[in-house]
Amino acid sequence: MKDFTVKLENPLVPEPEKQVRADVVVIGGGPNGLITAAYLARAGLSVILLERRQELGGGLATEEILFPGVFANTHAVYHMMVDYMPAIRDFDLEKHALTFIKPKWQTAIPFADGDSMILASNFQDTADQIAKFSGQDAKTFTHKIRQYQRFVDEILGPATYWPPVPPIEFAVNLSRTPLGRELMEISEASPREVVTDTFSHDKVRALLLYISCIWGLDPDIPGLGFMVPLLIYRNMNKCLCVGGSHKLASSLGKEILANKGRIFEVSQVDKILTENGRAVGVETYDGRQFLANVVVSSLPPQNTFLELVGKDNCPAELAGAAEKWKWDKWSLFTLHVATKKPPVYKAGDAHVNDAFMALLGFEGADDVSACFDAALGDGLPMAAGHATCESRYDKTLSRMHGLFTSFFQVLAPYEIEGGWEAAKPQMEKALLETWRRYADNLEDKNIARISSESPLDIETRNPAMVRGSIKHGDYSSLQMGFFRPNDLCSQSATPLEGLYLCGASLYPGGLILGGPGYIAANAIARDMDIKPWWKVPVSIEKYIDTYL
Amino acid sequence: MIPHYDVVVVGGGPNGLGIACYLAKCGLTVCLCEDRLELGGGVENAEPLPGFRIDPHATYFYGAAGPPVEQLELAKFGFRLNYYRDLLGGITSDGQAINLSMYDPERSAKLLERYSKSDADLWRLYTSIPINDFVRLLRSIYWTPPPPVGKNIDPLDLPWVKILREIMPLFDPVWLDLSLFEILDLVSQNECLKVAMGMAAWYNGPHPDWAGTGVFGLTCNLLNGISSGSPAGGMHTLAHSLARACMHHGVRFLTNCKVEEILVEDGVAKGVVLSDDAPVQHRVIRADRAVISGIHVKHTFKKLVAPKHLPLDFRQRIEDVSLKGSSLFTLSLISKENPRWIGDAAEIFSPTFPTCIFLPCDSREILRNQTRTVDSYNTHPISKDNIIVPICQHDQCDPTRAPAGYHVFSPIYIQVPPPEDHVDGPRAVNDAKEEITEAIMEVIRSVAPNLTPDKIVAKFVNTPYDSSLRNLGFVGGGWYGSRQAEDEWYERRPLPELARYRTPVERLYLCNQTSYPGGLALFAVPYNLMHILIEDLDLKPGAWWYPSPDYIKEEA
Repeated sequence: MKDFTVKLENPLVPEPEKQVRADVVVIGGGPNGLITAAYLARAGLSVILLERRQELGGGLATEEILFPGVFANTHAVYHMMVDYMPAIRDFDLEKHALTFIKPKWQTAIPFADGDSMILASNFQDTADQIAKFSGQDAKTFTHKIRQYQRFVDEILGPATYWPPVPPIEFAVNLSRTPLGRELMEISEASPREVVTDTFSHDKVRALLLYISCIWGLDPDIPGLGFMVPLLIYRNMNKCLCVGGSHKLASSLGKEILANKGRIFEVSQVDKILTENGRAVGVETYDGRQFLANVVVSSLPPQNTFLELVGKDNCPAELAGAAEKWKWDKWSLFTLHVATKKPPVYKAGDAHVNDAFMALLGFEGADDVSACFDAALGDGLPMAAGHATCESRYDKTLSRMHGLFTSFFQVLAPYEIEGGWEAAKPQMEKALLETWRRYADNLEDKNIARISSESPLDIETRNPAMVRGSIKHGDYSSLQMGFFRPNDLCSQSATPLEGLYLCGASLYPGGLILGGPGYIAANAIARDMDIKPWWKVPVSIEKYIDTYL
Repeated sequence: MIPHYDVVVVGGGPNGLGIACYLAKCGLTVCLCEDRLELGGGVENAEPLPGFRIDPHATYFYGAAGPPVEQLELAKFGFRLNYYRDLLGGITSDGQAINLSMYDPERSAKLLERYSKSDADLWRLYTSIPINDFVRLLRSIYWTPPPPVGKNIDPLDLPWVKILREIMPLFDPVWLDLSLFEILDLVSQNECLKVAMGMAAWYNGPHPDWAGTGVFGLTCNLLNGISSGSPAGGMHTLAHSLARACMHHGVRFLTNCKVEEILVEDGVAKGVVLSDDAPVQHRVIRADRAVISGIHVKHTFKKLVAPKHLPLDFRQRIEDVSLKGSSLFTLSLISKENPRWIGDAAEIFSPTFPTCIFLPCDSREILRNQTRTVDSYNTHPISKDNIIVPICQHDQCDPTRAPAGYHVFSPIYIQVPPPEDHVDGPRAVNDAKEEITEAIMEVIRSVAPNLTPDKIVAKFVNTPYDSSLRNLGFVGGGWYGSRQAEDEWYERRPLPELARYRTPVERLYLCNQTSYPGGLALFAVPYNLMHILIEDLDLKPGAWWYPSPDYIKEEA
């Protein structure tokens, strides 16, 4: 590289500053890094945000992968916590032309015989759909969903944006209310047990189990039962961000800048600088130094502590905990297509084709289990998963007249026998075959362009998603709640003074909840003795009063 | 309540961003509306394959010599520029090669000595001119509004001509009437050198055969030589730094907000109306002081200003602005190998090689064939015998562009007619995508035989038709808006009555590459427009502002 460029004595464009000082430097411009930086910038702190990629957003990525002119959301495709995420209201992001659309018909599951069921955004339409298969389950659903809504509104939603307490303490607190006790009843169970115990019809179970575990939640791990109400209820509230998911990231970025924060992309951080057991800044790949009182990392613990801080500069206990970090068990394989007509699913119900997502390849709950199991091996995963025509509700994603953008995504292992390069064409073929079983208009002549992304590609685009870990690390009871990423750091502050965490590896986790970023901002504001300009939402205050 | 700002800017390409930033820095409230998901217009990148960053349009920043970089403090907002050692190269089918560098001129001169001692000396003479003098010349040409209409200045009295005479001993006033090839024939010998410089001129502005534009062809090469480089991370980071400067000064950006109409009341521009799909509460945005169109002049007057506000003859002249000359078929190539060049080139392009190489530069006749095909017959060249291909590469100096072990050649391009001019219809080039790609690949393999199909990982093609859909600003898929022939250049660009950026609609101004001095993301159009707006809007910029010393005011 040096040979190809020249260093000029007096370049017309000045060299970047070699050393910059700020109050806070944030590593990583994903949703959480952005949220932390935006809150602190508006609090009057000088904030610098450093991003390795050329674009902000991390998992909030909208890219022209069906080049030219056809975009797709390469990670987050929907946002299920829009109604809860304090940042959206606190910053009034609407002023940046940020709009979310919530389709009524949310997730359809067409079956081979032409039958289908759709999860709608309201209770009764969903119950009507379930009633096609089981009157009993429909009745159960109408009761349970109200309970699930309360779980989320009163406990799980607010808890997303407040630091966790140790599990025993939390259990004691939960037991204070009947609702808390009800939540505890299912918390010890596995997702599969919760779904199976509650619903009886195999096809109803298939739909609800899949959407509960869709982002790589292990159906059979005990202790994750509380995720089922959260995922089912919030899957009825999926919103799309008009203009693509990246728009949420760029709107948050604008808030940072409007409050005099600074953002540098193409600025991979290679080192967290420490001095006398305290983080004092960072250094980028090209030798620029950013010195700060507070360093916030949105990267997973192994990257933050072992690579950037360095094992030698890390308290032994912390290094040990970071070494134990487990990456996601499942990653994703995605087939993106640009088609002349959107996929049309054969189904008796006209609204299947209005649904934002369609689950394909599942006839019953066993198929769902089989798909999770298959993706744990090192062979080709099952061609069963979720599909969406993104431009159905967001026309901005395709600029080419008459082309639609859709994808079909399935769980997949990071490592595959023979490597992903060789397996990709086979996987594309298998996915198209499944897709065509449900939508026979996806014939060759309808398909203008194809592009697929393997778990390896996920890591290439976004190295913080190590081994294709879209959540920065597995959801297991040892890495959840008070233990995410470990009991030393789950409040955002770390044993290394001046260093905080804010990414998906921090409680409560990934999936664009925006929880870690908000929790980190609160923790840093408190430690820096800054009076927050934002007000904690009433629902969270109520949760704190009742359960903490 | 209807939102209102001092100024509404239509379009978030480099020029729209530039003027938004200038005005916000002057303390005005500014709202910029952009149709696409992202700001930046042609200053964009795409990552169609993970880890590979291609350049669908702009590939170099040529604006380093201009005042805007300093005035808008782009470096402070994250802009980093890599300066290439070897910027421009040419290679012939028998392996001759030239390698031009302004920043390592002696090396270029030594390499030129193989073919022509006098060309080597010419290069030494040329590059002995102090960089600051060149900067002065470039600013006088590009970063200065064209003189007022009807001023009829004697060419020898034009400020930039005076500077040229002062700094360049070789300069002869007769050059002002000549084409670039005619000038080069007067001073140099090697055909490969002339063809490479001719190509650099054509792809950045005037064709080397167009009379009266030869000096601008030279200054295009000069922009290339001293004022350019590649932003670290890709061109789009330039848009980011500018957008960040804008945000810092309070500009409100509305993306996904296509402007459908420029509101005109009593002949005065008063705001814009957004399309029904815009994700905002209010579709009307009022502008208290001015509306600035950062988009193509044709789109501005054919689509946004209602015909009733415009004279009929004016509308016809807008209709007739030529789109020829900048509609490019681009190919981005991802390869497992770097080219291994034939003949002398193997040595001359080693250890480093130019980031842009034209191939093959055997004879200007190839270029003429290509021009004739495109501009006279309105069809596209598909034979390897009538195209010269520029091939650009950035990953050698910027590791963020491609994973180790791979290379991105982007863009590789040839000129084709604008879709609406093509004799076989607007989709003709799209229908010939594969044929044209194969012709380009054949040309590449004729000088770099190792780039066989098995080394190619992916190819991404963008035609003018595709461009015009991807980005409404690229009317006709053109890279620099409208033609840069003498009769549509300088104080006649895009039309004489529009040359000073004012329009028949009061308080509506133009700030797009269809105005002087055209494209290349120089930020020259917004800088030049500032001179006009300071007068019309009575702006009081701070001490950071300095006008062009060569600016000529209208007579009262």
